[in-house]
Amino acid sequence: MRDNPSFRQGIRDSILIFVAVAGFGTAYGVLAIEAGLTRVVAVLSSVIIVSGAAQFAMVGLLGAGAIPVLLAATGLGLRHLPMSATLADLIGPQPLLTRLRLAFILVDETFGMTLRAAGRGVDDLVAYKSAADLMLYSGFVGGTLIGARFGSSIDPEKVGVGVLFGLLFLGLSAPLIHRPRDWVVAVAAVVATLIATLTVPPAWQVTIAATAASIVGLLAGE
Amino acid sequence: MSDVLLIVGVAAITYTTRVVFLIRPRAVPGGLLGRFLNVFPLALFVAIATSSLAAPEGTPAVTPALAGALGGVIGGAAFRRSLWGVLAIGAGFFYLARALSG
Repeated sequence: MRDNPSFRQGIRDSILIFVAVAGFGTAYGVLAIEAGLTRVVAVLSSVIIVSGAAQFAMVGLLGAGAIPVLLAATGLGLRHLPMSATLADLIGPQPLLTRLRLAFILVDETFGMTLRAAGRGVDDLVAYKSAADLMLYSGFVGGTLIGARFGSSIDPEKVGVGVLFGLLFLGLSAPLIHRPRDWVVAVAAVVATLIATLTVPPAWQVTIAATAASIVGLLAGE
Repeated sequence: MSDVLLIVGVAAITYTTRVVFLIRPRAVPGGLLGRFLNVFPLALFVAIATSSLAAPEGTPAVTPALAGALGGVIGGAAFRRSLWGVLAIGAGFFYLARALSG
């Protein structure tokens, strides 16, 4: 697969994601140790969950018990349902193992990159997403290792990792705006998110805001 | 519940939500749900960006991140919606605003 042009393009396009996700992984590693997880368990969580949002929620709610953690993971995970359906449509019929593998790292960042690649006419989206997934996974797990090992001597927020992440999604959304309806959806998403930050538990904010804005988009028609 | 069991539980929930429509080939619905899926990615990305840039501490606030958002919009307009244009101009505005605000 390494000789596949789409795979190589996926690697090149994901360099920024690698850096940003490594920063988030480092921040997670630091927080996980501070929350009481051992180094091995902190790294294990990144290896098998691969969801920065769910993992941050998990370490933030560890003291509250298992039920709030699992509820938060459910709230955060619901946004994967439409992403899963969209990806299935993009890649078409594929062997079961390929689909199971692509689902394992179905995260906002590489999903957005794959959607953007589809819009640019990249030939092999499976190879492209596999490359983006590889970059994200290695960055996230590697970052977690560093954060868990070096702890509070590291502060990823000093370089503004959170802001770079927000800008990444702003950049991924820009090419998706073509029609007046898309502007309606974008404005509705901004308003719904601001309202959600004031009224909804953190784990559900993005999912509920995105769902509400999508419904507004449906009502707005074409 | 031990930490490892909890992590396995979170992983199971997360993977289940990711694999639902990929487990069966060509399972994408049409009609109203299909149109919903068509607009959902844009709504999701804008919601994540808004959450990170307009409410970085959890509630809406005027911070250097908001200047980054403004820069990102300007970068997107100036460089024909290029991802790198959004990132470069947005990050520049953010770092400048952070330096000016001390």
